[in-house]
Amino acid sequence: MKTFEEKWTAWIDDELTGRELEEFLASLPDRAAAQAEKQNAKQVGSLLREQAIALSNADFFSHQLRERLDRENAPVRSEPDAIRTGWWTIRRLLWGGITSLAVFTICAVVVFRESTPSSQSEYLTQILESRVDPTVSPNATISMFEKKDDHVTVLWVDGLQSLPPEYAAK
Amino acid sequence: MRRRLLLLIATLSVAFSIGGASLPEQTVWSGLIIASNSPPTEPTPAEVTQIEGTLRKLFGYSQFQLIGEARKTLKTGEEDWLATSKYFSLHVDSRGEKADAYVLNLKLFQEQKLLLETKARLSKASPLVIRGPQVGDGQLVIVLVVQ
Repeated sequence: MKTFEEKWTAWIDDELTGRELEEFLASLPDRAAAQAEKQNAKQVGSLLREQAIALSNADFFSHQLRERLDRENAPVRSEPDAIRTGWWTIRRLLWGGITSLAVFTICAVVVFRESTPSSQSEYLTQILESRVDPTVSPNATISMFEKKDDHVTVLWVDGLQSLPPEYAAK
Repeated sequence: MRRRLLLLIATLSVAFSIGGASLPEQTVWSGLIIASNSPPTEPTPAEVTQIEGTLRKLFGYSQFQLIGEARKTLKTGEEDWLATSKYFSLHVDSRGEKADAYVLNLKLFQEQKLLLETKARLSKASPLVIRGPQVGDGQLVIVLVVQ
């Protein structure tokens, strides 16, 4: 036993015949409207058959359609994206900073190196410690002073044993 | 990126090696001098001439006779040497350089007898003068200069 929808489809496709066709037509509430609908369905069917060639390249069609949809639906570029793709990217800023630091360090080292000798040359010689053997020179005393005008440091030892002139020999 | 980083490190290394370079080779002159007022028998040595005026003011002597000397070029800053005369010797032991100066341990011997022991930081710009014992009518003076 066919349902109404099955009979309707078969009628559209002209597959109902004989008694079955008569019974179906009798069951239609508005036969004129049904005939008009049948004509429309047949027109759509023939149109689809004509356009079947155009749909043979379905993948390309689908791709084109998807691209167009993507373009239309693409969001407005955000602020971070603009920064990332601009001239001053984060990476370039980082490299710029490192390079500047390196140049500064090199300059500082060179300047420091050049200034060091002149500043250090101001220093006088320093006597850190000194002593005489008390058993050899019991009366010896040591004093030290700097003659800043002459840039000379003097270690002054008094009380060492006096020696005869022959000790001046080479 | 890695190549750039390596280049940066290499540049910095060169800069630091140039900047942190040690003192260039320098010579320390050490002299044993007899200061006196006796008539000169030989010309005053060039090293003494530079500070002759200072020595005159300090000791009141007019003549300076060199009886022993040593000239040592310091490469590592940790060398030792001896300046000797017939009866005196000065042993110098350099213990490295620091702030444009050499740290020296000095020992003055009269033959085998240790007369004086001292430690000094000898600056390039400033000679060290040591007053030694009286010798006859003169005075033993020790001078160290970075040349």
